[in-house]
Amino acid sequence: MSIPSPTADDVSEGIMSTLQESARPQPGVSDNRPGERRALHRRRRLRTTLEAYGLLAPSVIGFAVFLLAPIVIVIALSFYDWNFLSSPEFIGLQNYRDLADDDRAVDAIGNTFYYVLLNIPAQTVLALLLALALNAKIKARNAFRVIYVLPWMAMPVALGVIWRWLFDPIYGGLNTMLGLVGIDGPNWLTSSTWAMPVIASVNVWQFTGYTMLFFLAGLQSIPHQLYEAADVDGASKAYQFFKITLPLLRPAMMFVLVTSVIGSFQVFDTIHVMTAGQHETATLNYEVFLQAFTHRNAGYASTLAVVLFAIIMLITLIQVAFFRKRTTYDFS
Amino acid sequence: MRTMRTAAVAALAAAPLALAACSGDDGDGVTLRYAFWDDNQVPAMEAIVEAFEDANPDIDIELEQNDWDAYWTSLDTQFAGQNAPDVFWNHVSKFPTFAESEVLLPIGDRIEEDGLDTSIYPAELYDSWTFDGEQYGLPKDWDSIALVYRIDALEAAGIDPAEVDDLEWNPDDGGTYVEFLQRLTIDENGNNALSPDFDADNVAQYGTAMSSGTGQTDWWNYAVQNGCEIQSEPFGPYLIDAPECVEAVQFTADLYNRWGVTVPATSTNQPAGGLANEFVSSGQAATATDGSWTLSAYREGLEQGTWAVGPLPSGPVGDGTVINGLSNAIYAGSEHPDEAWEFVKFLGSEEAQKIAADMGSVWPGVSSLNQNFTDFWAEEGVDVSGFQAAAEGPSTGYPLSLNDSVYSQVALEEFNQVWLGEKDAASATEEVVAEANAE
Repeated sequence: MSIPSPTADDVSEGIMSTLQESARPQPGVSDNRPGERRALHRRRRLRTTLEAYGLLAPSVIGFAVFLLAPIVIVIALSFYDWNFLSSPEFIGLQNYRDLADDDRAVDAIGNTFYYVLLNIPAQTVLALLLALALNAKIKARNAFRVIYVLPWMAMPVALGVIWRWLFDPIYGGLNTMLGLVGIDGPNWLTSSTWAMPVIASVNVWQFTGYTMLFFLAGLQSIPHQLYEAADVDGASKAYQFFKITLPLLRPAMMFVLVTSVIGSFQVFDTIHVMTAGQHETATLNYEVFLQAFTHRNAGYASTLAVVLFAIIMLITLIQVAFFRKRTTYDFS
Repeated sequence: MRTMRTAAVAALAAAPLALAACSGDDGDGVTLRYAFWDDNQVPAMEAIVEAFEDANPDIDIELEQNDWDAYWTSLDTQFAGQNAPDVFWNHVSKFPTFAESEVLLPIGDRIEEDGLDTSIYPAELYDSWTFDGEQYGLPKDWDSIALVYRIDALEAAGIDPAEVDDLEWNPDDGGTYVEFLQRLTIDENGNNALSPDFDADNVAQYGTAMSSGTGQTDWWNYAVQNGCEIQSEPFGPYLIDAPECVEAVQFTADLYNRWGVTVPATSTNQPAGGLANEFVSSGQAATATDGSWTLSAYREGLEQGTWAVGPLPSGPVGDGTVINGLSNAIYAGSEHPDEAWEFVKFLGSEEAQKIAADMGSVWPGVSSLNQNFTDFWAEEGVDVSGFQAAAEGPSTGYPLSLNDSVYSQVALEEFNQVWLGEKDAASATEEVVAEANAE
């Protein structure tokens, strides 16, 4: 491309100067008396500030009450022994020491990573492929877009129940169909080999369409001149995909990966409905639930929740650091 | 399967709203929250509440229903939030921990003050709600386990229903009980499990279905019949790794895997699997070992006159069943303990339990009303005396322990693997005992 294009810095400088311009008092409208004008200005600024806080309040209060406070309470509870019924007893780091000897927790961490590895690559690649297909000019494109997003709109618990039926080895639809072509289907949900891949595939099926939406939005913001220019230069479609599409999709990719990795570390409802954590499908989040509500160890469950929080935080930071270096928002 | 229950529960979520809406007219009245879990008993609960509200216009009762699993988790969180229902169903497996944690209101003094006649309840049932010398509930009902079977399935297999009365099992060749179930296990071509042409991969009807998450409706019964003691004494250690117990677990596993006469564990393992009565109602199983509280589910699923109740088979040691019962408990933090006591007193009364017994809901806690329950089912064409006969014979109660939550979880996970044929009975019982007795 021979036409010089403005850099990101040029653009942001332009925006900044425009903003500053509009903040300046308009000639003609401004008052002549400087003292009064300053007071008015101060009052106006105060009002703007109050307005801003007022508008922020609902979400800040919501965040504080429903997110920040519970997080603080969970961290505090992780140093206590509590069965919900009696008063909590402070035990220092005992819960964290118990963690080291808890085979179930260690297994749960392993199961969680296994699930994330099954879930994320498949879901991301499929979503990207779908987005590419539905970005092309094909018939009934919008209908397809809606169809792929539908599973995401349904309730995970209800879907889990339906899939559990489909995966039933004797009465389920899947093995019945496999039987028709002479294949003896396995016991999907009660086999340690199959249970986790089945759960992961149900979640992939459910969230691929939703993930696709972000890729689709990302694809539509890539200027088509880039592809035209590449065509002129004789670049192959594959080359265009890896050199133009993929790099310019990085903002979408970052959002998709960060949010879906967090979501998949927290998987719960599908597991609860389909296997109740049996057959090596108990993820860390599921173990939190079991410890809290089956064993009444609210303190220890909080400890596991803190560990899960730390793992997610660490992985998110790594992802953000990775993408920050490699992402451009400048599409021009 | 389980979802039908879930759907029913969802539909019922609206019920308390409706009840609350139509009873909110008197301003200075007291509203009590009453929590329970079994959707089979909703009609009886509603009828009893109505009778109580008629007699006590100042007290409104709001019903709160959750399915079994959600019931206990939400009760725990409600205790933690000090916002539990005023009155709720209690279960012996959970009761000791609640009593020890002082979330239950002791009612011994009130029983004495009001001069309540507690001899109307069977003594064992009344005493099972005692902890550390204090009384925490009045018996609501009792239950036992029996064999529910489809008469048409037996007739189609050429079995005289009278045979059910004399079935016996043993761990070696299965006995007449296994043979009975083999004759009822029929493949797509109509061959039964005794036929050399039997196709085990395409079974149209299994002999029986078992779907217990605890053992209450399956292996605990075989345990009693084999001389196994689940516990040394109430609140004592679990003893299920003893040879008689391992043998009972193994026999249950054999019904699945050695004889193949049971709806496979892949479909019935709890909590995700279907319930025994659902497999019987849909024709996938000919019989089920099941609890008396599920009778109304069979009535809903099967035509009148096509099913009956018989005794469980006897084992090497003899007959045996699991008996259990529920009570109504008062939350220690209730703001209206006096009104709650009035309600609990009513729930324990002959008047209230007669309503439930006459509706065939559950065997009543008040002994004199057993006949009402029997009469209701006789009119429905079902002789339910098998449950009563079983309860009067050798039996075991629900194990009593402060470690029940640990035991239940480990037992569920271990035995599910045994039913699937992935683990042997001895090592599973050893692991359960090791974990449940450790804490």
